[in-house]
Amino acid sequence: MTPAILVIGELREDKPTDASREAAGVARRLVGDAPVMGLLIGSPVEPAAAGWCRDGVDTVRWLAEPPAGGRLAGALVPSLLALLSEGSIELVLLPSTGFGRELAGALAARWDAGAATGVTAITRTAEGWEVRRPVFGGRATETRILSGPRAVVALRPRSFPAPEPREAPAAAAVQAVVAPGPWAAGPTRIGSEPVVSGGGPALGDAPIVVAGGRGVGSSDQFRLIEELAGALDAAVGASRAVTDAGWRPASLQVGQTGRTVTPQLYIAVGISGAIQHVVGMIGSRVIVAINSDPSAPIFKVADYGIVGDLLQIVPALTAEIRRVRGR
Amino acid sequence: MEIAVCVKPVPDPDTRLRASPDQRTLDPEGVKYVLAGYDESAVEQGLLLREQIPGSAVRAFAFGPAPRAPEILRSCLALGCDSATHVAANEPVDDPLVVAAALGTVLGSRPADLILVGKQALDDEEGLVAPALGALLDRPSFSSVTDLRWSPDRARFSFRRSTEVEVERWEAPPPLVLGLQQAWNDPRTAKLPNVLKARRMPIESVPAAPGAAAGRSVPLRFDLPAPRAGARMIEYSTPAEAAERLVRILREEAKVFP
Ligand SMILES: Cc1cc2nc3c(=O)[nH]c(=O)nc-3n(C[C@H](O)[C@H](O)[C@H](O)COP(=O)(O)OP(=O)(O)OC[C@H]3O[C@@H](n4cnc5c(N)ncnc54)[C@H](O)[C@@H]3O)c2cc1C
Ligand SMILES: Nc1ncnc2c1ncn2[C@@H]1O[C@H](COP(=O)(O)O)[C@@H](O)[C@H]1O
Repeated sequence: MTPAILVIGELREDKPTDASREAAGVARRLVGDAPVMGLLIGSPVEPAAAGWCRDGVDTVRWLAEPPAGGRLAGALVPSLLALLSEGSIELVLLPSTGFGRELAGALAARWDAGAATGVTAITRTAEGWEVRRPVFGGRATETRILSGPRAVVALRPRSFPAPEPREAPAAAAVQAVVAPGPWAAGPTRIGSEPVVSGGGPALGDAPIVVAGGRGVGSSDQFRLIEELAGALDAAVGASRAVTDAGWRPASLQVGQTGRTVTPQLYIAVGISGAIQHVVGMIGSRVIVAINSDPSAPIFKVADYGIVGDLLQIVPALTAEIRRVRGR
Repeated sequence: MEIAVCVKPVPDPDTRLRASPDQRTLDPEGVKYVLAGYDESAVEQGLLLREQIPGSAVRAFAFGPAPRAPEILRSCLALGCDSATHVAANEPVDDPLVVAAALGTVLGSRPADLILVGKQALDDEEGLVAPALGALLDRPSFSSVTDLRWSPDRARFSFRRSTEVEVERWEAPPPLVLGLQQAWNDPRTAKLPNVLKARRMPIESVPAAPGAAAGRSVPLRFDLPAPRAGARMIEYSTPAEAAERLVRILREEAKVFP
């Protein structure tokens, strides 16, 4: 028997996010021709549903956000449970974003399901869903079996290929209205600001990160890092030496007491490679280090290294990237 | 204000990771289990709030087997927590939903205006306990929380929640369950007299509710990446040449950008 799957998607600028599209593709691969139910959280936008159907889902529901505004995972769970009982669903897939993980935990607890987040591979075995996920900041990978009858699996963004578009029937978009949670009146969202990201994309989300350390020398010279990041459409990161010195805000700190990032490419500039920094970036696919000290520990974890003065190398690199990208 | 902080014993961040003989999990042999990562911040945050709100108590909870759980509770006492409760299990449990169920059963019967946990544990990095606890106790729960403050006149907490693209500002009355992302670079360290005093303080022990130990998430393999060979160094005579070589490698060999 092929299991029925529900995919929960997030919208950004009225479109399913890349991670939501990847989740739809994974669901399609797991069930073959069996139906995949999709659920988008946010206000209804028909073209979004149609595009998502080409990615792999068959029917799309909308879940309106609760009136209090902002996303409160627990408040969405009652509506989700109603939907799940309707479709005899065995697996829920969703993006392993901050909110996706909140939803995974709240839903699994109430649905009495097994759960895993940050998953980079999933297969069906006789024992249950086999999932792989990086642990210890990417220093190891674990494989687990979710063996119960129900599972909630949050998929790490950019760990699965973008789905091949398929011929899809027009989406049957049914609007589901949210029953507000019992405490919807409690928490209130009073505002929001874009993430302080040093200009480019948000650090938690970016395929490329350029990070600067104490070796950059000063707050002023940190602009060299931002220019390189700009040329690459990358996010800007920093070592603790930089955030402690107040050159850049703490939100840019990568490492044990900052963020963990796993981009395709991480360029560490003027960073020595202390273990507390390394745990936050070792899961990156390709690591480049630029440092004047050939014995800096960062070269042990990097894939490619340039020994030299960053004040010379970085501007040259920025210029070269602008040149090859034609701008 | 009654503040509960849930802390997980995790391998010391400097531990050299090795797989167990059956290759299923981390080899615990010789590993020191400590309070670390966001949990350390959760304790710090609890203590800061207590300093601000008269008549508050910070109570630490850890679920798992002895000696790991009581040991990190001891370090919470040394940092200044008012009491410590060990939710005892016979074996290590690494399924966050089982953890949440065990903690939820105990916390549900205690007064706790605020339950603080780490956004994610330093080892398994699931981030499931905070939302699962909230759902089980039927309280609002938020993860990725920073800048938590208490406003006495309004009897509300204010805090920020970071998402991938924005930082939201929230206000909420107690009771709440929060997964903290705040990471102070320098959370307090225990002073020697407090360490000695903590040795004599009692640690309450309660058994985990029956049934809360049957996991649905079973470890199968624990893999370590092949050791990195060390960086391939780029030879060059001018910065422009270094740049040109690196960009070529990144495009053609590593294929990380077009
Ligand atoms: C509990 C704890 C938690 C911590 N958490 C974090 C964390 O989350 N993140 C973090 O980053 N750190 C963290 N640290 C700090 C960490 O131990 C290091 O001190 C820090 O990472 C060092 O930052 P850095 O590499 O920028 O500076 P340094 O170690 O001073 O290194 C600077 C590097 O720049 C190079 N350099 C200097 N001039 C040039 C030049 N002109 N061109 C090229 N290279 C140059 C030098 O060779 C050197 O390698 C933590 C420490 C503790 C104790
Ligand atoms: N065994 C445990 N005992 C007490 N608290 C725990 C335990 N496991 C996890 N937690 C708390 O839940 C948080 C998130 O854990 P996780 O969902 O496993 O990433 C941790 O940072 C701790 O605050």
